[in-house]
Amino acid sequence: MAHPYQCILASNAGSLDEFNWTLIGASGPKLVVQSCSGARSTWPKEKEEIAENGQGDEPNGPPGKRLKLSPPEEKAPNFSTMVMSNDSQYLVAITGEDKCIRVFQIDSDCQLQQLSQRCMPRRPSAITLTSDDSTILVADKFGDVYALPLLPSPGEERNAIPTAEPSEAVTEKKFTPAASVLTVHSGRNRKVLEEQMKQAASLPPKPKETMKFKHDLLLGHVSMLTDVIYTTVESPVEGGKPRGYILTSDRDEHIRLSRGPPQAHIIEGFCHGHEQFVSRLCLTKSGLLVSGGGDTDLFVWDWLNSRFLETLSIRDPVFDFLKTNKFESNLPDDKAHFNIAVSGIWNLPNKDSEFDEILVACEGIPALFHFKVTGGKAASSLSHVIAVNANALGVAFIQPRESALQMIVSVDNVHKPASTTELRDEEHASRLQYFSYSQAGGWSSQAGYHKQESDSEVGMEGARKGGDEKAARDILYNVEVLRKRPGAED
Amino acid sequence: MAGEGKNKNKREEYKQSLKEGDAALPQKKFYRQRAHANPFSDHALTYPKSPTDMNWATHYPAYALSKKEEAGDEAQGSGAQNPKAITQPVEIADIGCGFGGLLFALAPNFPDKLIIGMEIRTSVTEYVQEKIRALRTQAASTTTNQPTYQNIACLRANTMKFLPNFFARGQLSKIFLCFPDPHFKQRKHKARIVSYTLNSEYAYVLRPGGIVYTITDVEDLHNWMVGHFEKHPSFERVGEEEQEEDVCVGVMRMETEEGKKVTRNGGVKYVACFRRLEDPPWP
Ligand SMILES: C[S@@+](CC[C@H](N)C(=O)[O-])C[C@H]1O[C@@H](n2cnc3c(N)ncnc32)[C@H](O)[C@@H]1O
Repeated sequence: MAHPYQCILASNAGSLDEFNWTLIGASGPKLVVQSCSGARSTWPKEKEEIAENGQGDEPNGPPGKRLKLSPPEEKAPNFSTMVMSNDSQYLVAITGEDKCIRVFQIDSDCQLQQLSQRCMPRRPSAITLTSDDSTILVADKFGDVYALPLLPSPGEERNAIPTAEPSEAVTEKKFTPAASVLTVHSGRNRKVLEEQMKQAASLPPKPKETMKFKHDLLLGHVSMLTDVIYTTVESPVEGGKPRGYILTSDRDEHIRLSRGPPQAHIIEGFCHGHEQFVSRLCLTKSGLLVSGGGDTDLFVWDWLNSRFLETLSIRDPVFDFLKTNKFESNLPDDKAHFNIAVSGIWNLPNKDSEFDEILVACEGIPALFHFKVTGGKAASSLSHVIAVNANALGVAFIQPRESALQMIVSVDNVHKPASTTELRDEEHASRLQYFSYSQAGGWSSQAGYHKQESDSEVGMEGARKGGDEKAARDILYNVEVLRKRPGAED
Repeated sequence: MAGEGKNKNKREEYKQSLKEGDAALPQKKFYRQRAHANPFSDHALTYPKSPTDMNWATHYPAYALSKKEEAGDEAQGSGAQNPKAITQPVEIADIGCGFGGLLFALAPNFPDKLIIGMEIRTSVTEYVQEKIRALRTQAASTTTNQPTYQNIACLRANTMKFLPNFFARGQLSKIFLCFPDPHFKQRKHKARIVSYTLNSEYAYVLRPGGIVYTITDVEDLHNWMVGHFEKHPSFERVGEEEQEEDVCVGVMRMETEEGKKVTRNGGVKYVACFRRLEDPPWP
């Protein structure tokens, strides 16, 4: 059974003059590309693997056999997040286990060519590109945001792996104990000093920690970063250049607004209001910010002025959906005890609507929630609840022709709907689901494009391999774990 | 540990015995706590959702807006409706204030300013709060021209994470970082209270012209702090002459608990101050 697509994205949704599209999905450690012309490819190339794994994994295994979510292939690192350049030429993807930022060129025949691989000292948790596609912004689990050129200039090492930890802004000289005998010490510090003195006597200095490629530390929170957005706004000054901004969200309820490089050290404000972790940020068509995380509500912001506009309940519609559809086994009786974790917010590229529209996914929920967002100008509302066949993981939009909007949803074909732990019984569940949208009729399910390929060829990590289910699950479900456990150390 | 449990009981008994309106100073021995708290972990902290949610009135009761209203003062602005609000914003912050030596010394030096000590360790915070309470009570019962200690307060906070929850942009005029934990190990440098990225937060809560004061007896940490502030475009180092004329520098050298310890041991104190510059125009 194939690993689900933990991330999926498409190019060119809604660009006016261009109805070509490319769809890219990440399945465990693999990337699959498909275009409207029918061309498709995978990365890495999979010849040998097909030969190896071709059997024992076919849909005609013993019926009703309990499927296992297999750990990804060997030790190939799994993709955790990705973004396409605004010009649709490049894909920037993060592999988690090796903390690497990989830049791929997307060739006209849909082949991916890896151009560079830059490993960070801390695991990247979110990435984005500046509007001009020149710079990658990487947010990491330690709270820092770095800027890296999309394309390393010639002469720079392209496959650099840091030798040790990152160098801090101030260079350390040769190893000398940091404290002197005159320093006043707590017991603990004294011990550290003693250790250091011993070390200084016996060991050569440690190699300086470096990332051997151009990188600038832009800003940092003392918290795990969960999302990063770059955007530009017209200058309020006549004839002024557009202004770049960086928005960052963290596990400690913060949404921070900073200036874009080269002034990213300047904090312009915070959007205060969340009481739980913030996991996703989304800018709407008209420029409102929608944020979601572990709270019962989504928050809508006039982010440029750090102004709260309104909340949209997300917990209630999720709860109601589960109740109505009899997914009740993990549902508490009381709504108040029901936790949700927002795992995706997408701006709907819908030109026909005068309002902003967004789609929201929550972890372990087999549905998407479509909201109309007005920012308080009129009544915002939940427009549609789109039931899908399995837990929704990712969403991509394409516009195959003038005023047509279609959506591809990647779903968890491994776990039971509405559960993040129980494995499915049935053998063959599709990993992608297709919908088309009309302003009048809403969403309707559709047959897929080249559907036959979507489930069979790719990512055939066999169920027979067994192994570390939990590790595999963590690739799909890593948001609810951000919630703080009460009663932590004092 | 059995011993620890016993200590804890004694402490609790002692703290229970303290009463509102008690003028006796708290005894430090009941408030000692492990030297380091991990700034990265999820402490059971309470903090306001945003600066406007902060209940400052409980910390500075003499400045509570609602109190003034009762006294018949003209209520002004919407803030007057807010029982948490005070008549003027907090302007000076002592970050990692420890047992509060600096706070108590600053109080009479800045009688019209509100000063806040912020400390991550619970017991140490409680000690400072008890001492403030006792000093206020003592002052209330004398008629001489003593400091009232109504302008200082202390609260528990992990400032490395939550400073912007307490203070609005440009609210502060002075920040003190006195004898910060050195975190000698390289691996722990991100735990230092000064870093290039954290300096952006100090710059955010400081108004242009505001000053960050630093002092330490660890030369390496001093160089680190100077390096990280000088690298940050929002700050410039204050010149030696100006530094030495600033009363705060003297107070910081002599009145912090750590400063006193260093004096006793004949150690060196390294001081550096940094001025918050105006933000540059957009490029
Ligand atoms: C060495 S003591 C110095 C105390 C006092 N400033 C003095 O000079 O006497 C450093 C203090 O900073 C506190 N501290 C460390 N990290 C902190 C944080 N993130 N937020 C608030 N206080 C912190 C420690 O608990 C400790 O009390």
